[in-house]
Amino acid sequence: MLRLIRTESFKLSRKLKSWLGPQLILVLVLIAFPLSIDISQYDLDKFYFSIIVISLMMTAFISTEGMFEEDFEDGSLEQEFLLEQDFYKIVLSKMLIYVFFIGIPIALIGSLFLITNGADFDDLPKVFSILCLSNILLFNLFSFGNALSINKGAMLGVLTSLPLALPVIILLGRAVRTIQYGEGFFSIIILMSGISLIVLAIMPIVISAALKTHID
Amino acid sequence: MQLISAQNISYSINEKKLFHNLSFNVNTGEGLYIKGSNGSGKSTLLRIILGITLPSKGKIHFCNEDLAISYLGHKNAIKSYLSPIQNLELIFNQSGRALAFEWLHKLGLKNVQDELTGNLSFGQQKKLALIRVLASSPKMIVLDEPFVGLDYATNNLLNNFLEEKLREDMSIIFTSHIQPTFECKTLEIER
Repeated sequence: MLRLIRTESFKLSRKLKSWLGPQLILVLVLIAFPLSIDISQYDLDKFYFSIIVISLMMTAFISTEGMFEEDFEDGSLEQEFLLEQDFYKIVLSKMLIYVFFIGIPIALIGSLFLITNGADFDDLPKVFSILCLSNILLFNLFSFGNALSINKGAMLGVLTSLPLALPVIILLGRAVRTIQYGEGFFSIIILMSGISLIVLAIMPIVISAALKTHID
Repeated sequence: MQLISAQNISYSINEKKLFHNLSFNVNTGEGLYIKGSNGSGKSTLLRIILGITLPSKGKIHFCNEDLAISYLGHKNAIKSYLSPIQNLELIFNQSGRALAFEWLHKLGLKNVQDELTGNLSFGQQKKLALIRVLASSPKMIVLDEPFVGLDYATNNLLNNFLEEKLREDMSIIFTSHIQPTFECKTLEIER
């Protein structure tokens, strides 16, 4: 597992486009949005969170597009199958590395933008933690879509898994309200942590099965 | 000692039979040369032997479940955005790297070792991929068209390497359109 984590982090760190690209896109969207409206007429801190949530979802969507495609195309997945006999460990390592390299930075970017657009600075840890947890869920869902259609252009599968992200968005919306109204935050964060752990444990098994059918 | 025993292996794709009732054994220190025309199912048979693809009928029995196999298929499993050195660092652990780098020099890739692999020629990429097999010490080597894209000198080198490995009791299964220079069993797949 450590070997895979080292390998995956080395590979991703060398693909600047894959990890820095989504972060730059997020920054661009979050800067461009307030510039495109007359901000003096709106309470930006009230609805800027929604913009962050949607931008985050789109960023996770873009980030996972090539997650397995490259390894499938160049034969690395076959080699990994011969070593490990399944893909669980490689999927889990990729997931952890993607969340670490992309998920956590975009959660931090989103939180900082929210604070700079009028939200309370004391809410920063709360916002950051729910964005991190939602990223774990989104990355798992979209990479499942990616694995489903890996031989037909991974974007197609990611698109089909887009509706699965809607419950995450609803959950995030609920979390936002708990932060804004100052109550029930801990129950929602515990709920999200539980779901994230379950998804992180189960989804690699499902993704592994999907990948196996493609190399067969 | 018998390593692999295949009984009545058949494979069909979309109702079309690729091959039917193939049976063969591979023993320690034995080479199996699989030949056949394009599209006859040579690569599929290799993938069935490796357990990547399931046969439509028949069974492959491995006498040792933990048999270490080194495989090189049509896909090179190398990363185009990394240098040859970095690719080898990904494939081999600390102890195996010295031998891998030695092969890099022997195959004439020293002068391109720090360039992007994606910028190398097809033959150079193939040589780099071959190091995965050349620098490892498995019990069995499985190669799919290993001679394609290689220059005359590397072809000879590979032939000699495989011959030497057979003498060291390693087993080799490979497909090729080029007759190998060393002695081995032949399995012909007819369409």
